[in-house]
Amino acid sequence: MEKPIQCVQGIERVNIFGVRHLSPAASYHLSKLLKQVKPKLVLIEGPSDATNLIKHLLHPGVKVPIAMLAYTQDLPVDTVLYPFAEYSPEYQALLYARDNARFIDLPSNVLLGLNRWRRENIIAETKDLDYHNRVNSIYEKVAQLGNAQNYDDYFERNFEHNLNEGSFHNTMWLESFELRKLLEPLEARASPKINARDLIRESYMAMQIENAIKEGFKPEEIVVVTGAYHAERLIYTAPLTDRDFDYLPKRNSQLTLMPHSYFRLSSRTGYGAGNKAPAYFKLMWECMRDERLEDLPAEYMSRLGREIRKSGGYASASNIIEAVRLAKGLAYIRNSNMPALTDLHDSAVACLGHGEASKLATAFAYVDVGTEFGELPEGISQTPLQDDFNRELKRLKLERYKSTVSAKLELDLRENIRVRSAKSAFLDLNRSTFLHRLVFLGINFATLDRKRQADATWREEWVLQWNPEVEIQLVEAVLKGENIKLATAYALKEKLEDCADVFEAAKLITTACICKLTTVIGSALSTLQRLTTEANNFIKTSDACYALGQLIQYGDLRNFDTKPIIPLFKQLFLRGALLLVDYANCDDKAANMAISPIEAMHRVSQENIDLVDDDIWVKELFDLASGDDKNSKLSGLAFAILLERNLADESFCSLEISRRLCPGNPADLGAGWFEGMSLRNRYALLSRVNLWKELDEYIKSLDDEEFKRGLVYLRRAFSGFDPREKNSAAELLGELWKVDEISTQDIAIFLQEPLNEQEENALAALDDFDFDI
Amino acid sequence: MINSQDVLRLPAEKLYAKEIEALIKEDKDKKPIGWQMSPRSVLKFIVGGKAGKVYITPKYVGHNRLVEVAIATLLTDRSLLLTGKPGTAKSWLSENLSAAVCNDSGRVVQGTAGTSEDHIRYSWNYAMLLANGPSEEALIKSPIYRSMEDGSIARFEEITRCASEVQDALISIMSEKSLSVPELSTELPAKRGFSIIATANTRDRGVHDMSAALKRRFNIVVLPAPADLETEIQIVNKRVAEISSSYKLSSALPTDEAIEKVVTIFRELRRGATLDDKSKLKSPSGVISTAEAISLLTNSMALAASFGTGDISDSDLAAGLQGAIVKDEDKDKIAWTEYLENIMKKRGTQWRSLYNACRELNG
Repeated sequence: MEKPIQCVQGIERVNIFGVRHLSPAASYHLSKLLKQVKPKLVLIEGPSDATNLIKHLLHPGVKVPIAMLAYTQDLPVDTVLYPFAEYSPEYQALLYARDNARFIDLPSNVLLGLNRWRRENIIAETKDLDYHNRVNSIYEKVAQLGNAQNYDDYFERNFEHNLNEGSFHNTMWLESFELRKLLEPLEARASPKINARDLIRESYMAMQIENAIKEGFKPEEIVVVTGAYHAERLIYTAPLTDRDFDYLPKRNSQLTLMPHSYFRLSSRTGYGAGNKAPAYFKLMWECMRDERLEDLPAEYMSRLGREIRKSGGYASASNIIEAVRLAKGLAYIRNSNMPALTDLHDSAVACLGHGEASKLATAFAYVDVGTEFGELPEGISQTPLQDDFNRELKRLKLERYKSTVSAKLELDLRENIRVRSAKSAFLDLNRSTFLHRLVFLGINFATLDRKRQADATWREEWVLQWNPEVEIQLVEAVLKGENIKLATAYALKEKLEDCADVFEAAKLITTACICKLTTVIGSALSTLQRLTTEANNFIKTSDACYALGQLIQYGDLRNFDTKPIIPLFKQLFLRGALLLVDYANCDDKAANMAISPIEAMHRVSQENIDLVDDDIWVKELFDLASGDDKNSKLSGLAFAILLERNLADESFCSLEISRRLCPGNPADLGAGWFEGMSLRNRYALLSRVNLWKELDEYIKSLDDEEFKRGLVYLRRAFSGFDPREKNSAAELLGELWKVDEISTQDIAIFLQEPLNEQEENALAALDDFDFDI
Repeated sequence: MINSQDVLRLPAEKLYAKEIEALIKEDKDKKPIGWQMSPRSVLKFIVGGKAGKVYITPKYVGHNRLVEVAIATLLTDRSLLLTGKPGTAKSWLSENLSAAVCNDSGRVVQGTAGTSEDHIRYSWNYAMLLANGPSEEALIKSPIYRSMEDGSIARFEEITRCASEVQDALISIMSEKSLSVPELSTELPAKRGFSIIATANTRDRGVHDMSAALKRRFNIVVLPAPADLETEIQIVNKRVAEISSSYKLSSALPTDEAIEKVVTIFRELRRGATLDDKSKLKSPSGVISTAEAISLLTNSMALAASFGTGDISDSDLAAGLQGAIVKDEDKDKIAWTEYLENIMKKRGTQWRSLYNACRELNG
């Protein structure tokens, strides 16, 4: 490239070191270079306003992986994350240079401003799907020519394992230069704004280098650490002027440090590729640092073996030896000096996993990704939300639960009348509110033990456990609000806006109540009201109704005013009742889904009889029970509910039974009806001899084929009966069939004998019975 | 001596003799002891490529990495166990690997319920044994014995069909790399290059489990069914052409359309869902492998050549499909009927005549 006049004077003498972020080999070579050059100043790619965070980063209490997070302070929220692992070249450079290091990339407010600028008018940018495919195909082609599985594999074989001084730097430089030559024109066409952003960043970096030289640092005493993609270009880039800088879009932003984890490092793709296996890379870095890279395969495989054994698997030392040998063989076939991660994986599968990768998946996850967390000592760069979290812990006397060992916490939500102040009287209730807010925000500090909830609504059992992941989640939630209450309210509002069905909305109202977010309840109710008028799904409406019913019943326990909810609750119940009959025009699969909603509606109507319009519900149940064109199982269920509530008189009963169980009615419909009926209170059934007589008559009247059809349904219906109920049914039938010689008891015993093999087979043959013909 | 033209089925090293020769000529890499070509050439022989001007046909398509693992295993003088469902080219891969490595794929022990330890180690010519007592001449060497002697690869087919005690005779051979003959008070150390490639079915009746001790001595590679439709079509296409030329079938090769149809049906029945995942379906009880698709198509060619027009008609295909899918159980027939009515019938005119032919046969 032609050297333009306005580029930085003397920049060709500056030591520019192009790295791949999160690359052990780059760290290794950079460390060597630093020791050799002994620079007076080290300039590192990273937001320049983060330079004052360097002393925090290097605080002795800090444990990597950590990350710098830049976040906007207003909506729409946006973040940029800069992770540091032990093997990050940037981190190694910081460790070496300490006070003599500076970050030189665009300050975070400009970077976030540019991000927003890039996203505006995105339609104007040609959204070229083809572009991504072409970029990928270039990387794939490189990998293929390099005889590797994919680009990461290619990079590991050709760069990570290269410890020859000089050659790493030169090949990396050349590779990035050539790749950029191929990629940049594509990018400039497909997404010109991304390209422009890169050029602005480079120009700003050049400006920072120029400033350093102007300050009096000799170019040869400066080392610049930057992504290899930018390295070559820096030499030819004109520095940004202060005037131009003022034109750049900016957003209000903040920087903070946060603990990071290897798990996040591996799952967050997009920032510096090649970090899918952080624990493996760390191991590689340690081997390199101690100049014993050749031990890596053996060490990796031994760790893998330990993990397999820990989880109860089998991995002998001899198998581990064979796996290492096989990995070396694979590397030889690929022309590599030493096995790459893919070789290690594949050989482990063949030697330790009996050919099945799935057997080793857990062990791979431990050895590749690892469970390491970063740590920040207290008082280092905290966000308002982290502060609020700690304050709340103190206020609610939960500080001792801030430990990595999980602990149980039992809460009694009722007022404690033995204490003086209101604050302590409702301490447990306030704790519960706080923990529920955290759960809703997605901060995994506390989990509610649902299993123990059934017996009492005033008691809650929580399991509390703190880990660095909690800290990360807190920092991320900072974008939603300054303290935990505001953040929860914001998150709830967001969910309400996306909410599309009544059940969802009802759940959100419950959340708002439990989390005591009085400000949001108004808008939550109006959302639900809007959705109620449009609701046409019986199941969701019924679920929503049940949820609100629960809330109204137990609301006062949480010092919560339920009055505003009641009108909406009435409306929802009415809606649900009216949707019932319509829904019942369905097949058996859909009918099964409606069983518990119908029962829930029934329960709601009984528990809140003074609030809801029960008459309409009963009328709808009658309609369903007597409708011949409805799903017979649901009709049976509706009939059973009416029986239970004693609303069906004898004449209606006998009419209904004989009509349903008559030979003219197809066998599966009749038996299906009986199945639906037997879902409810069975004593109501067992006390009606008449019903069994009708059933008996009906079964006798069926021919063979019809009997088989009916049998499938009846068998299913009776499978839900417990032994005592079966016994009663058998006795009833015994009573009906009684003949002189055989007693009722004998018939009952006969009916309850287990099936013999022949009968089992006959029944098994019915499994394939096709009802759709 | 039979002319090689008249041999029903040539072993891989004869069938691909030209390719092997070209590969050896082109080979510049280091050859491991006992190998006739370098590992990279073996890889090329299996997955295809070019050696000088000779085109090397791909012999195992779609999972190159597994082939690499297999070759690297042989390189480390470990034994290799290829497992997988029936018809996933285990024996085919084993034959071609041994042909490429040592030019002899004929050292085979076939595992059956009747295989005894003698088949694995050695047995005696009893007439000579009685006449002269134990001697070198009276010894009948097993294929594995001979491979140990000259440092080549022995194949053990269907190892899980042997009783477990018989399988375990391999343990000492594999770990000590030597075979003792107590009757002659000698011991045969294996020559460099010796290795065993065993194959085993994972889904079949009448197989015995392998002991952990034996499994531990193998590197295990599981061969999967072909990953996608195109690969499977490619495999079927290639093998049908090869088989028909060796059987001298005079009918025309099946059209691409016919192959695609058969492979589509097989894949759908195998995975229990249509290729677009829109509907689920019942899988028949039997195994519906790529190998079955190949034999089905050659079968249809034979039918067409002998009793038909010479071109494969839909009724020839239908006969093959019926035989391959409906094995002996009623359930298979139901599954096949359902497939015909629910899936194939709705596929439009292209499939109409095949559908009619199948329905007629299925009754």
